[in-house]
Amino acid sequence: MNIKKLGRLVWPYLIWLFVLVLIPLLMMLVLSFFETRGLNFDNAVFTMNHWFQDLRDPSVLKALENSFTFAGTTVIIVFLIGYPMAYILAHSSFANKMIILMLTIIPMWSNSLLRNNALRNLLSDASLVNDLLSRIGLSFIWNVKGTETGIIVALVLTYLPFMILPIYTVLEKMDKNLIEASMDLGASPVRTFFKVTFPLSIKGVVTGVIMVFLPSFSGFAVPYILGDGKFVLVGTIIEKSYNYNINFVSTLSILLVVVIFFMIFFVSKVDKEGESFL
Amino acid sequence: MSQMVVTLQRRVVLFFRKPHVQKTTKVLQGILKQVFFYTVMFLLYLPILIIAIQSVNDSINVNRFYGLTLRWYTDMFRDPELITVILNTLINALLSTLLATVFGTAFAIGIHSLNRKLRQKVIFLNQIPILNADVVTGISLMLIFKAVMELFPNIFIPLEMILSFENNISFQLSLTVLLSHLFFGLPYVVLSVLPKLSELDENLYDAALDLGSKPFDAIMKVIIPAIRAGIFTGMLMAFTMSIDDFVITFFTSGGNYDNVSTFVYGKVGKIMTPSVYAYNTFLTISVVVVLVGLYFHSAHKQMKLKQLYAQHNQKI
Repeated sequence: MNIKKLGRLVWPYLIWLFVLVLIPLLMMLVLSFFETRGLNFDNAVFTMNHWFQDLRDPSVLKALENSFTFAGTTVIIVFLIGYPMAYILAHSSFANKMIILMLTIIPMWSNSLLRNNALRNLLSDASLVNDLLSRIGLSFIWNVKGTETGIIVALVLTYLPFMILPIYTVLEKMDKNLIEASMDLGASPVRTFFKVTFPLSIKGVVTGVIMVFLPSFSGFAVPYILGDGKFVLVGTIIEKSYNYNINFVSTLSILLVVVIFFMIFFVSKVDKEGESFL
Repeated sequence: MSQMVVTLQRRVVLFFRKPHVQKTTKVLQGILKQVFFYTVMFLLYLPILIIAIQSVNDSINVNRFYGLTLRWYTDMFRDPELITVILNTLINALLSTLLATVFGTAFAIGIHSLNRKLRQKVIFLNQIPILNADVVTGISLMLIFKAVMELFPNIFIPLEMILSFENNISFQLSLTVLLSHLFFGLPYVVLSVLPKLSELDENLYDAALDLGSKPFDAIMKVIIPAIRAGIFTGMLMAFTMSIDDFVITFFTSGGNYDNVSTFVYGKVGKIMTPSVYAYNTFLTISVVVVLVGLYFHSAHKQMKLKQLYAQHNQKI
């Protein structure tokens, strides 16, 4: 098997990942324990304050709470919509399944900031849609711009495809005979779903949950665009202070990395070959 | 009491087992499914629809519709600021995708040839850039570039390319942004190439070597053609991620470089030229056209194959 000798092609990638993943992490870890001026360590003071005082600051606690509520709510709604969508797609007898799948991907091609900007326009009291509808005697006013609802609507619409795709992928690859076997053995469709289909699709669900939770937990663009800048999330703090307080930003990033690491570890337990990503 | 519940339950079950009831519930289920599916699809497309309406609205006021116009589409090529950010986005995406495709394929071949345990470890590492929060990736890359600044003081300064002096058209190429986009594009290429490699018959590579070709030629002529569908998917993913990226560009650009996303972010709540909406609509429509074209192309190919196969069978 000569192909086994090609393993040396991996080395450059390992070095690349080492330089761009591991070294920055170590830098962040060190920075989070010091008071420095940017990356300049002259007159640097060792301090635990970032971990023990700054993190307990009421504004930071509020941001963490906001991040958890927004991301948690988004994940639940996206899952409740995304799973049935993926299920319908995977079990449809459409000959044009590919086209429908493409249709779920196309929104991702459109700039996400512009899409959220358009939603901001739609969800205010004087919107383009309302103006158009008023001409035919209808009206649509749902003024939730600058509220939690607006942010959650935008997060749900932005990240929905990220839940549909991984779940669709595992459902599609699943052996359909298992469902028939379960039905033949007398299980009701509902029982079959909970005992066969759902457990087999858990890989995709876990990947989807992470792909939705992380960006909505740490992002700052959507809350800024739809929330009129009224809501502070973890990402917002990082965005506002990365230029002058790299030490506390590093602390927050390390905190995020710990959360992410647990999640990646969890995924790698259920999905060893990274199948559910594509 | 429990007796009553059981009989009630049995009655309900029996009721749903009646043929005509079963038929109606099935039809109802079907309708509900359709309604749900198309509603969600509509909601997914609603923002894109609004962007499209804004792109043909004859005013820079985004809250009222003044009439149809196509002038934002022609203005798109006249506004020097916009053309710079569009070119920045596209050129950066093309270059980073090209690099990610070449290197990602090579790395995937390498990963595939490792033994099972090592392979799973490297795949685990490969997932980090995909699953990591963009904010953390952005800050990480910014830190490493800032650290390298000691050696290369100009690393954050983008390369300025002037296309036309008269019309003031230019674009920029930022090394830091290019490297960052390469960083998050690579894992997608690796992930989409790997499954195709495991479908590959490894004897083909051995046969090529036995017949006297060098390893590089064998890879190019035997392995690459067999996995090209995976390479293409990975390329598409990397490109998609790159043109839509906001957070990572935001943190790694050093402030002197804008792509479409960071440009839009700077204009939230302010007046923005509707040509941005024109650009976005144009891009969406081109993607749809290309995808539909590809679909019909492959459908046509399959039809032809089927016909050939039928003819072949007839001859036998």
